[in-house]
Amino acid sequence: MKKMLSLVLALALVLSCLCLPASAEVAYTTTLRVEVFDRSIAGLNIEDCWQLRYAQENFGDPNGIKLQFVPVSRWEEGDILTTQISGETAPDICVTYNGDLVNSLIADDGVKALDDLIAQYGQNIVAFLGENLLSYGTYDPDGDGVKTQYTIPARRISVVNQGAFIRSDWLAALGMEEPKTIEELEAYLYAAKEAKLGGEMTIPFNYAIFTSNPMFAMRYYISAFVDFSQITEEDWVALKDNPEMLPGAKEAFKLFNKWYHDGVLYENFAVDTDSTIGDTYMTQGNFGYFLQQYDQPWRTDKNYQSEMAKNVPGAEWIPVNAWANIYDGRTLHDNYDAAGLTVFIPHWVSDETAKAAVMYLDWMCQPENMFAMQNGTDGINYEGLDANGLPMNAKPTEEVPDDNKLHAGDVVFLANGYNFGDDAKNAAYVALSFPGYEENVAKSVIYSNTDAWTQLSFTVPIEAATDYSGAVMLKQNELIAQTISCDPENFDAVWDEYIQAIKDAGADEVIEAYRQAYKDGNWRGTFPGTK
Amino acid sequence: MTTTRTLRKRTNWFKRDWRLYAMLLIPVVWYLLFCYKPMIGVMIAFQKYSLVKGMWGSKFVGWKNFEFVMGLRDFPLALKNTLWLNLMGLVMGFPVPIVLAIMLNEIRNKGVKRVSQTLLYLPHFLSWIIIGGMVLKIFAPTTGVVNATLLKWGLIDENIPFLTDGPTWQLTYTLVGVWQNMGWGTILYLSAITGINMELFEAAKIDGANKLQQIWHVTLPGIRSTIVVLLILNIGQMMNISFDRPYILGNTLVQDYCDVLSTFVYRTGITNAKFDRATAIGLFQSVVGLIMITGANFVTKKLGEDGIW
Repeated sequence: MKKMLSLVLALALVLSCLCLPASAEVAYTTTLRVEVFDRSIAGLNIEDCWQLRYAQENFGDPNGIKLQFVPVSRWEEGDILTTQISGETAPDICVTYNGDLVNSLIADDGVKALDDLIAQYGQNIVAFLGENLLSYGTYDPDGDGVKTQYTIPARRISVVNQGAFIRSDWLAALGMEEPKTIEELEAYLYAAKEAKLGGEMTIPFNYAIFTSNPMFAMRYYISAFVDFSQITEEDWVALKDNPEMLPGAKEAFKLFNKWYHDGVLYENFAVDTDSTIGDTYMTQGNFGYFLQQYDQPWRTDKNYQSEMAKNVPGAEWIPVNAWANIYDGRTLHDNYDAAGLTVFIPHWVSDETAKAAVMYLDWMCQPENMFAMQNGTDGINYEGLDANGLPMNAKPTEEVPDDNKLHAGDVVFLANGYNFGDDAKNAAYVALSFPGYEENVAKSVIYSNTDAWTQLSFTVPIEAATDYSGAVMLKQNELIAQTISCDPENFDAVWDEYIQAIKDAGADEVIEAYRQAYKDGNWRGTFPGTK
Repeated sequence: MTTTRTLRKRTNWFKRDWRLYAMLLIPVVWYLLFCYKPMIGVMIAFQKYSLVKGMWGSKFVGWKNFEFVMGLRDFPLALKNTLWLNLMGLVMGFPVPIVLAIMLNEIRNKGVKRVSQTLLYLPHFLSWIIIGGMVLKIFAPTTGVVNATLLKWGLIDENIPFLTDGPTWQLTYTLVGVWQNMGWGTILYLSAITGINMELFEAAKIDGANKLQQIWHVTLPGIRSTIVVLLILNIGQMMNISFDRPYILGNTLVQDYCDVLSTFVYRTGITNAKFDRATAIGLFQSVVGLIMITGANFVTKKLGEDGIW
């Protein structure tokens, strides 16, 4: 047995000696493991792809750093990272959307402080993110008033969030103009139903509940009924997650209840929450209005527009902006905070590796490197540059070789969206990436930016939110489903019942904690105020 | 002479059967590694668990996690739904495989028997994601196959709320589960039936028993011990409920009826990285399960059956 073991060990030694000179001409002093979201793109090997080799050649080799990409499933990243951190096997550069996880790690001293490293090696990081955005990554876990840079936030290039869409072919058939108010929208929905523009199965309003974030849509509708002269900034911040408690909110629900019972609103909205059936209606052209991400109808992964046009010739989705506030006429939209996902370095990473990590992030933020890593190679991922220096004819993932399929946002995680140096170019490129729909996308961006305010966030961990948010959200889903579908005569009773349930589920605690955070000045975002 | 023989007998048992013991070693090691060693981890139920400090470095907080979790609005609801859905599943689902196994056993044509067995097993291998999609397409209001057909034929004026009314949803949930598992459940009973001495059937036939009487007096008593063991095991599982089935079949309208302990744990423990709380609920479930299975075993033994230990 002993003999066998020594033989194996000797063999391993010989083999490793044989391999070393063959693969490594550069003497690497550090190995840097970088997390990269894995979207299960068929054919792509994240651990050996064009971007990795490009970064290795241009950053790793000159600095004696061996780069490794560690693929982590995009959809389970929070769970996987949690497991890896408890086993100390997480990558040296971690990337996550799980804010709770980051907060709890910082509270437990699980994250490396980055102030000195960024000051020394991170000039380009500061230049790309800006001091203000970078400060989103500073925390004061022990409450002594000294803020430490524990994380680096990614920068959202586009902060536009939701958009609403209407059928231009239906408007034409009805001889109507694009609706500008809720009344005009209502007239369109009822007329479309009456005229059966989508056939027997005409569903004018594809109302969706968005169970994982029910206020994504509901907050937008509610905002049209709130009398902003009646609320203070403090209330606004305290009710960040509970817009249903804003004065006037009930009216939005009441309107949907009426529409539901008049057959204008999608009957199965509460059952078909992942749009299993809805997508069929969508492609068959049965729907006449919906709210989603601002670019949803034209996205390549679920192109509602082209799928519908195949079945219904001439059918077209155009952006619409009809939810005008009944008091002041503003169409309030909530825009994303500029801070996207969170980047951090776990506590056990050596100083040497942490230095390499910050250097890599800094290299990533340099314009020429960011361009190459995001856009790939001329002739493979795109064909030539236009007058503005923007890549032309960017190819969809399935049309490029496996080696070049890595998602731009996953590899350049510090930029959430394509970045070409200035806002005008970035906006132009967004529209360019929807060939054939440039005008509609541009218009959708304008609508979504109209009367836009920035989503709220807090600079301190809110314990109550971690404890109760999940339960509160569940009750909000119920409030939406029940008040919209209940018998109109019972509306008030059902409303009171579920508002109470939301409070019992912990909303009171969360609201109180947010109110305190407001008083302490620990918040960011904007209050739309009055016109 | 006799003493040496017994001595040899005693030392020989290992030499003689070492292969069997070697085989036994594999499951024993498996149990130690994957069932007993992780049990040490239940101590985080009594800690304020920190991912960074780990199990050995986190602070002990006594019963705090239990107090917090059980004080939440949804906990009693989830507990009640878990027990109720499991009880309904047991009452409606437990007898079905027995009846089915007896019926399958009486099919004389081998081909028909095999085909029907395979068709009955099939749903067991479908994931709940797929079944969830099927259920939605079949039972949805207005557009679902069942409601659409009944409405068209004029048999109903209003949708049957299979998925949208709480108690009706619970029935749908149970029946879908029965459908999925009934075929698979017959396997144990069928093998138990095969184990019954054929002479008993012949004797019954000679005594003039018809088919039903044979089933009643020979088949059922023959598989009684199997039924009892499975019943005890099922009662021990009363507090456990799978995650995917209620999570996928449930929807917002029936939230107060479909929220069970597993979905509750997912929400209050897993999604926000509060593993100490998730463990607390898990421990609570296990303790209650242990009490139930011991109780059921005790009662069956009192009734003169064998029990499971």
